[in-house]
Amino acid sequence: MTTNHYVHPEILVETDWVKQNLGKPGVRLVEVDVDTKAYDAGHIPGAVGFNWQSQLQDQVRRDIISKQEFERLMSEAGISPSDTVILYGDNNNWFASYGFWLFKLYGHSDVRLMNGGRVKWLNEADKELTPDRPKITPTKYHASEPDLTLRALLPEVLKVQSDKRHNLVDVRSPDEFTGKVIAPPGMTETAQRGGHIPGAKSIPWSTAINQDGTFKSADDLRKIYFSNGGIDPGKDTITYCRIGERSSHTWVVLKFLLGLPNVKNYDGSWTEYGSIVGAPIEK
Amino acid sequence: MDHKTRVYDNVFEMMPSEENPTPLVRVNRLNPNADFPLYAKLEWMNPFGSVKDRAAWALLRDLEERGELGNGRGLVEPTSGNTGISLAALARARGHRLLAIVPNKVPHEKKVLLKIAGADLEIVSDELCPAPGLGDGSINLAKTYAKAQSHKYVMPNQYENEKNVEAHFKTTGPEIWKQTKGRITHLFTSLGTCGTVTGIGKFLRGKNSKIKIIAIQPTEGHDVPGLRNISQLEVSKLFDPSLIDDILEIDFNLAYTRALELCQNEGLLAGPSSGLILEGALQIVARDRRGFGVMIFPDNVFKYTSNMTKHIPTLEPQETKATI
Repeated sequence: MTTNHYVHPEILVETDWVKQNLGKPGVRLVEVDVDTKAYDAGHIPGAVGFNWQSQLQDQVRRDIISKQEFERLMSEAGISPSDTVILYGDNNNWFASYGFWLFKLYGHSDVRLMNGGRVKWLNEADKELTPDRPKITPTKYHASEPDLTLRALLPEVLKVQSDKRHNLVDVRSPDEFTGKVIAPPGMTETAQRGGHIPGAKSIPWSTAINQDGTFKSADDLRKIYFSNGGIDPGKDTITYCRIGERSSHTWVVLKFLLGLPNVKNYDGSWTEYGSIVGAPIEK
Repeated sequence: MDHKTRVYDNVFEMMPSEENPTPLVRVNRLNPNADFPLYAKLEWMNPFGSVKDRAAWALLRDLEERGELGNGRGLVEPTSGNTGISLAALARARGHRLLAIVPNKVPHEKKVLLKIAGADLEIVSDELCPAPGLGDGSINLAKTYAKAQSHKYVMPNQYENEKNVEAHFKTTGPEIWKQTKGRITHLFTSLGTCGTVTGIGKFLRGKNSKIKIIAIQPTEGHDVPGLRNISQLEVSKLFDPSLIDDILEIDFNLAYTRALELCQNEGLLAGPSSGLILEGALQIVARDRRGFGVMIFPDNVFKYTSNMTKHIPTLEPQETKATI
């Protein structure tokens, strides 16, 4: 368990904790990567791999998976509602954080992130990887109705940007914020226009992490988001990025590590907002 | 093996050494300064077309000598192309396989060449969004294969393996010293794995502590394949700043225009990294005025036609309009 004076340290585990708890009943590991080939190349023994494109997204309309699809995914992965689920992934837990958000949205009570993600595990000499998939005993998982206090949808975002009473946190790279680029190079998901939501503060997701990929201490994070970043901890907050994965990372920081009372992730993010006819944009 | 007649029993005998150096050719029209001649070391004259032949050969032989290869175990290596091409061709010629993990921004020509040379390819998207300590996607995926499937893969790791440095300490450095008869005052080279600069630098400093080692790097956000900006150097454990006198940062667009000038004025069909190094060398010629410079030209332009046309659009061949 990690402390670092976070408000909710219980949502993080360290790589050593994961090693000590490998194979223990009730502890389940889930890898979610940006590069969906990484899991097949090698993963933590016993971990199942979720593909964010084909397993965490609705395959017809643009949306997160439904409650029924989430239940099926959990059941097929052998996860029970009472399990402690540890998520980890590449790019310092981008999509692992997205997965964390989804687990919370569907009411899984004990879900945690492995601090530092897959790169930290990979670069520690005493940590093993395997290409072998674990044997799964399917379960019958029952999820809760989605907790919409965790998710911002477009109408709310449009209202918030005109009311100017919320913190809006744009966690993309500075070039995406200014509209110099619409998406990072090589990314296929894009928008019609570049720029940012008027009034949004630019605080790239990566400012929250140390060189080894772990989260910075609460004191450092408070400085980054409150003192320097201009986030008012007394206000409601919405985080966004391009497709909602980097903003999940910041959502974890603001809601759990710093304990802000009302933080929503806008998973439609710039690929939705930047394509809406008539939506106000700043560059 | 006879380097005079250049008749060899196999391709491995052609690998460079003090007795069989890559050519050193003076740049004339682009550097008319008689007090500071600049010589280009044409590394594309190596058997597999680049400076990386040296490191690849050293890495492969080391693995063979240590019994790390064979019985179904091949190599996995992150590569922006040249190391992979050398390593794949050498490995296949000795009966091993190579899985090359390649960043997606590597030019198409190089990816095809890797396959032609016999590599299996896995292409990954690097640099999705700037992040501290994120590491390099291709390096981490190669490490994953080597760790999770060690019965199938061993990773030479050109970024950390001292054999990379040793290759240049034992071959490139002595070649330059012999070819210049010890007159070299400035070495100009780029930064990638840093094996080249560290290996040659160590050797030359041992011969003459006054030789200036100048590293040339492209500006941040560049797309000069194979090179690294200082901000990207964290991945290389072979970088030794104590050996380097100056690090010049050059606008990466000049890599392409200077390469074209080398092709069209000197008859040297140099690739963009050579163009960048020439620009850096010319800046030092203007600053120091006197000297004897050697520039390491890593590879030729043949692999970079798509990058060249991207940066110099006038190179795009136009259909001639029929006149009626």
